Amino acid sequence: MSERPIAGAPRPYRFPSFEHQRLDNGLGVWLVPLPHRELVSIHLLTDAGAASEDEAHAGLAGLTAQLLVTGTRRLDASAFAETTERLGIEVGSESSWDSARAGFTALGSKLDDGLELLAEMLRTPRLDPGEFDRLKSERLNDILQARADPGRLADESFLREVFADDVPYGRLSAGRPETVEALTVEDAAAFHAGHYAPNVTDIIIAGAITPEVARAAIERHLGDWGGTAPTHRTIEPVQRGGRRIVLVDRPGSVQSELRVGHLGINRHDPRYFPAIVMAALLGGVFGSRLNLRLREELGYTYSARASFDPRRAIGPFIASAAVQTEVSVDAIRQLLGQLERIRDSQPEEAELAEVRNFLIGVFPLRFETTSGIASAIEPLAVYDQPHDWWQRYRARLETVGGSDVHRVARELVRPDEALILVVGDASVLRAELEAADMGPVDVVSAA
Amino acid sequence: MRAKAPLLLVASLTITAGPARAAPDTPAAPLTRTDATKPAVLTAPPLKLDVRRTELPNGLRVVLSVDHTSPTIAVDVMYDVGARSEERGHSGFAHLFEHMMFQGSANVEKGQHFSLVQAAGGTLNASTWLDRTNYFETLPGHELELALWLEADRMASLLPAMTQEKLDNQRDVVKNERRWSVDNQPYGSWDEKMQALVYPAGHPYHHSTIGSMEDLSAASLEDVQEFFATWYAPNNAVLTVAGDFEADEALTMIERHFGRIPANASLPPSPDLTIDPLLGEEVRETVADQVPLPRIYLAHRIPVFGTDAFDALDVAADVLGAGRASRLYASLVREQQVAQDASVFVFPIVGGASMFALWVTARPGVSTETLEAATLAELDRLATDGPTDADLERVNNLHAAHVAGMLERVSERADRLSMYTCLFDQPERINEEASRWGAVDSDRVTDALRASLLPENRVTLTYVPAEAAS
Repeated sequence: MSERPIAGAPRPYRFPSFEHQRLDNGLGVWLVPLPHRELVSIHLLTDAGAASEDEAHAGLAGLTAQLLVTGTRRLDASAFAETTERLGIEVGSESSWDSARAGFTALGSKLDDGLELLAEMLRTPRLDPGEFDRLKSERLNDILQARADPGRLADESFLREVFADDVPYGRLSAGRPETVEALTVEDAAAFHAGHYAPNVTDIIIAGAITPEVARAAIERHLGDWGGTAPTHRTIEPVQRGGRRIVLVDRPGSVQSELRVGHLGINRHDPRYFPAIVMAALLGGVFGSRLNLRLREELGYTYSARASFDPRRAIGPFIASAAVQTEVSVDAIRQLLGQLERIRDSQPEEAELAEVRNFLIGVFPLRFETTSGIASAIEPLAVYDQPHDWWQRYRARLETVGGSDVHRVARELVRPDEALILVVGDASVLRAELEAADMGPVDVVSAA
Repeated sequence: MRAKAPLLLVASLTITAGPARAAPDTPAAPLTRTDATKPAVLTAPPLKLDVRRTELPNGLRVVLSVDHTSPTIAVDVMYDVGARSEERGHSGFAHLFEHMMFQGSANVEKGQHFSLVQAAGGTLNASTWLDRTNYFETLPGHELELALWLEADRMASLLPAMTQEKLDNQRDVVKNERRWSVDNQPYGSWDEKMQALVYPAGHPYHHSTIGSMEDLSAASLEDVQEFFATWYAPNNAVLTVAGDFEADEALTMIERHFGRIPANASLPPSPDLTIDPLLGEEVRETVADQVPLPRIYLAHRIPVFGTDAFDALDVAADVLGAGRASRLYASLVREQQVAQDASVFVFPIVGGASMFALWVTARPGVSTETLEAATLAELDRLATDGPTDADLERVNNLHAAHVAGMLERVSERADRLSMYTCLFDQPERINEEASRWGAVDSDRVTDALRASLLPENRVTLTYVPAEAAS
């Protein structure tokens, strides 16, 4: 009775088949028919993310993406919201470093109406000055709010401190207050005119569709969209300095938000698979080394984790935890100790197998929803990953062995070069951090 | 591991599944489209999610819901115990106990619960709320029995694995969870304060699920033993399995693993949750916090989750707060530009009285008086004129799409089935919520708002920047 049961036979699972084509105007079309679903998800991706703006206009891509959902030439902000939402459609839009995204999930019967509105929004946005000013001040307020939140403050501060001065990644893709403040609706109109075009846009539709009906709807609403736009600029990340501690003073904090890391990998790094297995083992699952040590053994934190943030160019590698103030210095030591440990020796096969099996087995859970499936197509469209990416994904994980994990850990985890960023109460932490001999300490005030 | 998730549990439920869920995503088959016309008001087709209910001789309620769309299953064990069951001086204990349920049992080592599920390609977690506590695993379908075995082992034999060291460790973890989510978080204390103001001292809902540091410090190993012996019994639990499995096979496994666990013959009754339906006076509190922008929270006592009035207020919450065409967003955020954001929700509380709550964050330079007046004006307008047909069409269609999206996830189906069984003993309510929502008309909304959104039934909690306050 108490014997652990033997698993049954695994059911086969394949990532759903999809089709890809390019319209005459250059628009990339990706269709994933899931005939037994009742929902449809549409994701539109344009190469108009923060990598497409210049630093003087940092934040413009994000504001432009947000501005799109505030109406079209035909429908003002109120009418556009009313019309879409009465169809049960909540249109979202945002931008990251590598793309601007807009889309929704709705009942399949709403595909044509929804796509018509989405296309109208993309092609003839209203770009209303009043709405622009409102969104701009909301964005500035949100930056203020983020700096009051210790976790978000730590995230933003880490980027600022880990990248060298002239690297765009040293800020949030949403921009800095100084640059956002200076943006105008004319900037947004120029950005839209210059960067939103079919040759740099992909549409992904997953769910309750037939390819014929979806293709016809796309042709109808986006087939005669014209124009061309340039692609993004090239970003060349460089790290600022070597191992050091930056303490962002937040008086009265009962916890310290820790971010320990350095530069990581880009999307096309050949070490991608061993790197994600290594990061999962170190800090990507509940039973990871960081979480077991800092949480389940020491009780220092509710959660400790580590991950890469691969972008088109090299993004950061960060180990993080929020720990009670009194144990901050030892918690940093413990984090660094785990970074050393994963470099020092190859993981035991049992530990590695657990993590690998998790990543392989959890695969279908990621694709339960139509929006999850549409999201899975995004890296194929944005990063030109091969079309058999998901077909080969699990097999590629299976080949990752202990020596691969050890090798990439030695290459990609570099505690000697790590930035140690702490958001916490400097009056309690400063002296102890300076005495800890873990690197030079800079104390800065929370902006 | 979550101490609370009110926002995740707030929306009431519809289901639009049924035969459409019967086949896997691959291989593909052609879809017949017959809906060429576009109805002005879309009502999601009231098809039925498969729901089978049975009960073992030891009182364990079992709900099975088969659906082969995705090759995954979810197991959700919900116990009819929560923060409301905590005695004075033991706030936070139900949640701390939930953490202890992951520290091993007679045949499972510390950490092994996680490692076995993860190695099988699954995810797992738990949540504690005022009225119930649940534990859940999502796994590839062929690993169903692993989840059942793990859940049965801790239901049957948690105590042999409990040690002082494990309790001390998880106490520290939970204290850090509290620091992270409440004490070191801007506005983080709002729901704790709100509960304390809406429910009087001594009422089981007066204190928060996460509990106080003092009470967490006081929790002992004897408390763990007593809590387990009192509440963690099959006749106080619901077991739901949802997803890609065969019902007969699952039932055999369930009988094998859970059938031997004895019932608790002296299960105590639920605590008395009786409370006046209205507060009886206006309550106000101002909190100085490390926040850049003031924020106002309002809450009212309302009829409990499961009543017709609650449904009407759930619809009202969406008319006011869901989407960019909602009343508060349109008026306060877009037109008057007095608010940075607005959020409205009802709490799914089943005893005594529930809560209708909202928050609005002030734009810089806008006084809290101005913001509060503008917010109350919108509440009054809705209570006076009621929602329009367009409002109802909008929220019904948004709700249908939202719920269909949630129920694509096998874990969400299992969670909701457990909840309806645990709280109402009616798992099939998952198939009735669309019609319950659709049946709400303008008059029911105005009646419910007029009965509850009275000044003498309102708590106003205002957060202001600490520098401004001092």
